[in-house]
Amino acid sequence: MTPQRWSQIKGVFNGALERPAGERMVWLRAECGTDLTLFEEAEKLLRSHDTLGPFLDRPADVDPEDLALAVPPGAASDDGAAAGAIWHSGDRVGEFEIIRPIGRGGMGVVYLATDRRLHRNVALKSLPVALAGNTELRERLKREARAAATITDPAVATVYSLEEVEGHLLLASEFLDGPTLRTVINEGPMDAATVHAIALQVARGLRAAHEAGVVHRDLKPENIVITPGGAAKIVDFGIAWLEGPGHTHQAKLTRSGAMIGTPAYMAPEQLMGQSVDARTDIYAFGVIVAEMLSGRHPLSVADAAPAARERTPEDDVLTGLLQRIADHCRQTSPARRVRTARELADRLDGMAGVVGAAKPAQRTTRFWWEFHQGAAAVSYVVMLVPAWFARTTIGGVEGRSFFIATTCAAVMASMLRLHLWFTSRQHPTELPWARRRSAAWIRLADILVVVSLVIGAALVAAQSVLDVVLLVLAVGAAVSFMVIEPSTARAAGIEHEAGKAGGAAR
Amino acid sequence: MPLVYDELRRIAARYMGRERPGQTLDATGLVNEAFVRLAAERTRQFENRTHFLAIAALSMRQILVQRARTKRAIKRDAGGQQVTLDDASAPPSAVRAGFERPDPDRPGDVDVLALDEALTRLAAFDPEQAQIVELRYFGGLTVEETAEAVGVSPATVKRQWAMARAWLKQALEGGA
Repeated sequence: MTPQRWSQIKGVFNGALERPAGERMVWLRAECGTDLTLFEEAEKLLRSHDTLGPFLDRPADVDPEDLALAVPPGAASDDGAAAGAIWHSGDRVGEFEIIRPIGRGGMGVVYLATDRRLHRNVALKSLPVALAGNTELRERLKREARAAATITDPAVATVYSLEEVEGHLLLASEFLDGPTLRTVINEGPMDAATVHAIALQVARGLRAAHEAGVVHRDLKPENIVITPGGAAKIVDFGIAWLEGPGHTHQAKLTRSGAMIGTPAYMAPEQLMGQSVDARTDIYAFGVIVAEMLSGRHPLSVADAAPAARERTPEDDVLTGLLQRIADHCRQTSPARRVRTARELADRLDGMAGVVGAAKPAQRTTRFWWEFHQGAAAVSYVVMLVPAWFARTTIGGVEGRSFFIATTCAAVMASMLRLHLWFTSRQHPTELPWARRRSAAWIRLADILVVVSLVIGAALVAAQSVLDVVLLVLAVGAAVSFMVIEPSTARAAGIEHEAGKAGGAAR
Repeated sequence: MPLVYDELRRIAARYMGRERPGQTLDATGLVNEAFVRLAAERTRQFENRTHFLAIAALSMRQILVQRARTKRAIKRDAGGQQVTLDDASAPPSAVRAGFERPDPDRPGDVDVLALDEALTRLAAFDPEQAQIVELRYFGGLTVEETAEAVGVSPATVKRQWAMARAWLKQALEGGA
């Protein structure tokens, strides 16, 4: 049955139902004209409709025992890796030599194999046999695999090739040795810095994929592998849609018994069977981050609280920030979520300063940045003393204007620096945000101070040594904000934000 | 999947201690109870009730299908001692929803595995109808709730529901 044909049938079926029972067949006959099969199909459906009786009338009855004994999806696939394996160690499949079966997914068995042409180990995933006979699906698979193969990001498992051997479709991709994020989460609560590190990698991986036009559609902890080096790798890009939830071709694939995807990471629109795009991955990302933070799924029942663990205030702060991102990703309406994976990666990147702050080693470097901010604020105020004397030396309207301009600029620069200093001391996590907000204003105030000092020096001319003092102050201020400040910020690990803010200021 | 799933199972466990053996629960009651209990604990998470209901409906479908499969496998392993409908000695609980055959005493019951398969086929050419059946039958949602979840009018839900039922009945009887 094609969707087109079905909607044709739907049209006459609904039309017939609107007629009185006695006129239906006559109407249907006339409506279908020469299309006899259409008439037959619709007539059969109408007959079935008239004899529905109690069929599906009441919702499913559930034996409580069935519910209690049900195994959550996913749990079963972890054990019995080799179950259903059709090849064994030493078998040759095309150019591959099977080393051993390593796992079983919803679609088929995954093997560790050696590519004999290139002498490298690959993960070889056998795809459903049903695919081989379906040209449309195979074309789509080829397209998606090709697109997935163009993704080059350390956080995405590289797709090498799609092979067809003895009627089997095989996807060869990077072999990753390590537990999945699911195992890591189950081992116990993770500290905020680790969560941040994994989230940032995954976000960058998503960014690379989305910009290559590939949406994952089934992102979940089971699809993220953590290598021994601590790197996160997303697997199954380009093929998740095959077994992924909400896909209409599911019919052809699940007939042999594969379970439909896990609803726990599905965005509302995906559950409703509506269109799926990059923002669906963003929703799943939010669920995963929330789960890493708390050790349990955000929609789960709070009965077994994860073991308490020592936390520093910085840890709490970072946790709060990550939680906010997770909440923002998990908005019901796709339009209200974080818009792109790029934005997501940028925001996580922007937290680098806080992660730095959470590390004791970075404490002293932050101190020098704070010291610089405080010292600069005080210097700007002290600067007003020579400016006051210069006012009388210049005299008249020019003198007054010079003093007012210098005072305004100096007070502005000083206030903003004190604000940053205070923020850094009291609300370290808000610092990146505060810096972003005030960077352009600080830069403007700094430039105004320098400019008005230079003008002041020119107006004073040779009337006193004040011109030299004002020029020295101008040079000092310029060196301070152009050279010293970036260095201290860089050392404190918050340089990245400043770079972005500088970009915004221009 | 530790969410709705666990809650559904917990409710079932409570009922088992209380009700007499063989008693079944209906999807509407289960799903709503799970919602009330979960929502009471974490009010903010379920601002969108329909999202929850859709998850619950899908979970129920998976649970029932999985259990039906397990039971069929167990029965096969038992050495072909097929319990048929005509077997008067078969305990009524063995032919409950989720089992292989419908129970003649319960006219609304269907073969869950066959229904699941037919539903998956339906989804290939009419995802909306399949979704409506899942919500209505496995989730126990009312017409209005289904309309809200799918984002169509109640009248449309009724029309689609009627046609989907007709097609599924035909499919289960081997006619499509």
